[in-house]
Amino acid sequence: MLSFVLRRLGQSSILILIMSILVFVGMYVVSDPVAVLAGEDFTEEDRIALAEELGVNRPLVVQYLSFLKNIAQGDFGTSFVYNRPVLDLILERLPATLEVAVLAIGIGLTIGIPLGIYSGLNQRKPATKAISFTTTVGYSIPNFWQALLLILCFSVWLKWLPASGRGDTTDLFGIPVSFLNWDGLSHMLLPAINLAIYKICMQARLSRSGTQEVMYQDYMTFARAKGIGRDRLIRRHLMRNILIPIVTITGLELGGLIAFSTVTETVFSWPGIGKLLLDSIHHADRPIVVAYLILITLMFVTINFIVDVLYALLDPRIRYK
Amino acid sequence: MSMIDTNTLIEVQDLTIAYPMADGEVFRALKGISLEVARGQIVGVVGESGAGKSTIGKATLGLLDDNAVIETGGVRLDEARVSHFEEHMFADVRGKKVGYIYQNPMTALNPVLTIGEQIIEAITANTDKRGDAARAYAIELLEQAEVPLPEDRLDKYPHQLSGGLCQRIVFAIAVSAKPDLIIADEPTTALDVTVQKAVLDTLKRLAKRDNIAIILITHDMGVVAEMCDYVYVLRHGAMVEHGPTADLMQSPTQDYTRELMAAIPRIDRKVERFAVPGGLGNATDRQRAIDYLMGNKADRQTANGDEPLLQVRGLSKVFTTAATLVSAANSFRAVDDVNFDVYPGETLGIVGESGSGKSTVGRMILGLHTPEAGAEIVYRGRDVSSITSKKDRLEHCKSLQCIFQDPYSSLNPRMSAGENITHALKAHGTLGRKEADQLAGDLMELVGLPRASRRKMPHAFSGGERQRIGIARALSFRPDFIFCDEPTSALDVTVQAELLNLLKDLQDELGLTLLFVSHDLSVVRQMCDRVLVMKSGQVVESGPCDKVLVDPDAEYTKGLLAAMPKFEFS
Repeated sequence: MLSFVLRRLGQSSILILIMSILVFVGMYVVSDPVAVLAGEDFTEEDRIALAEELGVNRPLVVQYLSFLKNIAQGDFGTSFVYNRPVLDLILERLPATLEVAVLAIGIGLTIGIPLGIYSGLNQRKPATKAISFTTTVGYSIPNFWQALLLILCFSVWLKWLPASGRGDTTDLFGIPVSFLNWDGLSHMLLPAINLAIYKICMQARLSRSGTQEVMYQDYMTFARAKGIGRDRLIRRHLMRNILIPIVTITGLELGGLIAFSTVTETVFSWPGIGKLLLDSIHHADRPIVVAYLILITLMFVTINFIVDVLYALLDPRIRYK
Repeated sequence: MSMIDTNTLIEVQDLTIAYPMADGEVFRALKGISLEVARGQIVGVVGESGAGKSTIGKATLGLLDDNAVIETGGVRLDEARVSHFEEHMFADVRGKKVGYIYQNPMTALNPVLTIGEQIIEAITANTDKRGDAARAYAIELLEQAEVPLPEDRLDKYPHQLSGGLCQRIVFAIAVSAKPDLIIADEPTTALDVTVQKAVLDTLKRLAKRDNIAIILITHDMGVVAEMCDYVYVLRHGAMVEHGPTADLMQSPTQDYTRELMAAIPRIDRKVERFAVPGGLGNATDRQRAIDYLMGNKADRQTANGDEPLLQVRGLSKVFTTAATLVSAANSFRAVDDVNFDVYPGETLGIVGESGSGKSTVGRMILGLHTPEAGAEIVYRGRDVSSITSKKDRLEHCKSLQCIFQDPYSSLNPRMSAGENITHALKAHGTLGRKEADQLAGDLMELVGLPRASRRKMPHAFSGGERQRIGIARALSFRPDFIFCDEPTSALDVTVQAELLNLLKDLQDELGLTLLFVSHDLSVVRQMCDRVLVMKSGQVVESGPCDKVLVDPDAEYTKGLLAAMPKFEFS
């Protein structure tokens, strides 16, 4: 176990190192922070002073090495734009994004899996055709357009839910969260639904194809033959077997949602880290972009590790190999 | 209906079951079948695959596919017309009145649930035992099914146990609610010969104790002879004949029954050919294929037939499993210092249980596994490890070919039969497209398949036909040596007999040398001149079949022979 964890850590450090170099060089090539930050009335001397203050006048290699040195001391750098520690900025925004991502995945699983199992078990029923059609459509609608439709429908016409912002927050262990009061929750619903629609469709299709495969296995017929009730047949025999691909995809999707729900956060003006990333790229705020991507990489590595552990829990054949 | 004997437990009457097919045709799996089973009676239902015998069991338990239609007749169990039950009505039948035993115990048990959970859920569903009582009963059942260390097994998963043990666990589940009837669908087909007999004995003992009737579905006349009181013979979904086992096997009235019995390889005597009709292909095409195959034989043939074609010395193989989260690295010796010679034109058999290393030997000879250092494989007088040039290597590989065990996974499903046969030759640039097509057709005729069917995809062929395609593919390289890795273990007896006939004919005609690996002693007896008996990687005994399989020296071989089903008909 320990060697497995250590190997994973070693691999991910190399991955993070390579990724940080790529982002560092990339950001250097595409934009110049001094040009973005300098005002109209800046003189050449002011510009030089600004560059010196930001530390971007040094050779790139030197900048990168001092960045590595700071990271080793737990300092991810200071934002060019906000002039505050990068880590604070990211951690401030993270709860908002996490909340929406977890809610969206939760909706996707609780609606998608039952729909998928139902349509896998009842292939000839009209409801199955309807589910299949709807999920195909839901799968293919562009995210931003779907978001606009949701706003039009629930905010403009029905006036049920607010269209933008985060609303009131409640502190939970010192972290501001929205889901504990109605105003916050109502602000959260539309972005979460917008992200969840795609997830529902995907989970439904995944669990449908899993169900179709598993239900024809000998052990399903045998379990029926030995007199097991339908409920138990589905909950224990079927679910346990279709969960493996679902866990893999869900892990990846959760990572994807946390890291890159930029479009949805932008449309709903949700103050999450996706929006922070977009703004920072725009403003050539390199420390934020680099730190952000390093944290995201770490997060993916962690999620994948958890998925691997779940695999072993779900499938004894992997556990005992 | 009311006239039947009160002792009758289940009555199948004039049962016809049809499946509508994609092209509008209707496939009838059963055609007006009637049979009866009395309480406590063991009845055999015999036939080849596709005979519809499994459908009877499925109709009794409501496990037919959704699109199956019962056209006529039905099944009565204790006067209840179970064949026409709604799904919810089976609650009192499945597991309670009828236990079911599946062909392959490794796939019948759910791989992700423990043995304990799978037994206890059946106990909970079908008896009034709960909690600790259910667990204690599960242990008791496993003891009765002769599963060693029953308490430990409860926490194990199916893949941690052998096939034989898994089947005993399935037995324990099937008898848990003391049903009136057990439907056993090919219960030993997936098991090694050595454990078959013991497993069947257990089943019979459990059934006799609780006066449980058994419908034993099988293609193996040997199993029927040992187990059944009465037997029904089915073919293509229709009844051929039926009668008490002894009478029917002594004097079968139908040709098909005789054929079915003649097709069974016998351990006690060797026959030149099996008495089954084997179709030969178009003579011109066959001759052209033979000309092609013999084409460069002349210059390759060793002049002296006394010199071995293949010499194997000190062959060993160690497999090592990598260290994992929970276990340290592990290695075991699959093959341990094996030596033998194979002479041109002969057939050498290797027998042994699964895991004895017999296939690994063949795979090392083909170069699919690398032997441990110190081994020497000399083919046509040349040490195989000394072949370095790419061209020689290719020639060497072409000369040694393989026929695989599983005809379903050994053909590429996305290539037509013809492409499967010749794609490797085309890839090497040896053949043009037209010549390849011509050759594929000729080879198909040679192995007894119609030339035109080379355009069909593998799924359109039966198991036996696919295995013929596999043979044609091996032949396309003009080999001298073919390694046959259990080529008939997945096939029905009559198909097996046809295929073994074909192999013998091809060997006679082409002078092929065969290494024939099998767990079936009687097949080896029919096919081979000499035999090696392997156990745990080592050769226990070797010599001519007429000696080793008739009057063996080694205790192990004696045990293997004793475990064979015996025939008491002439």
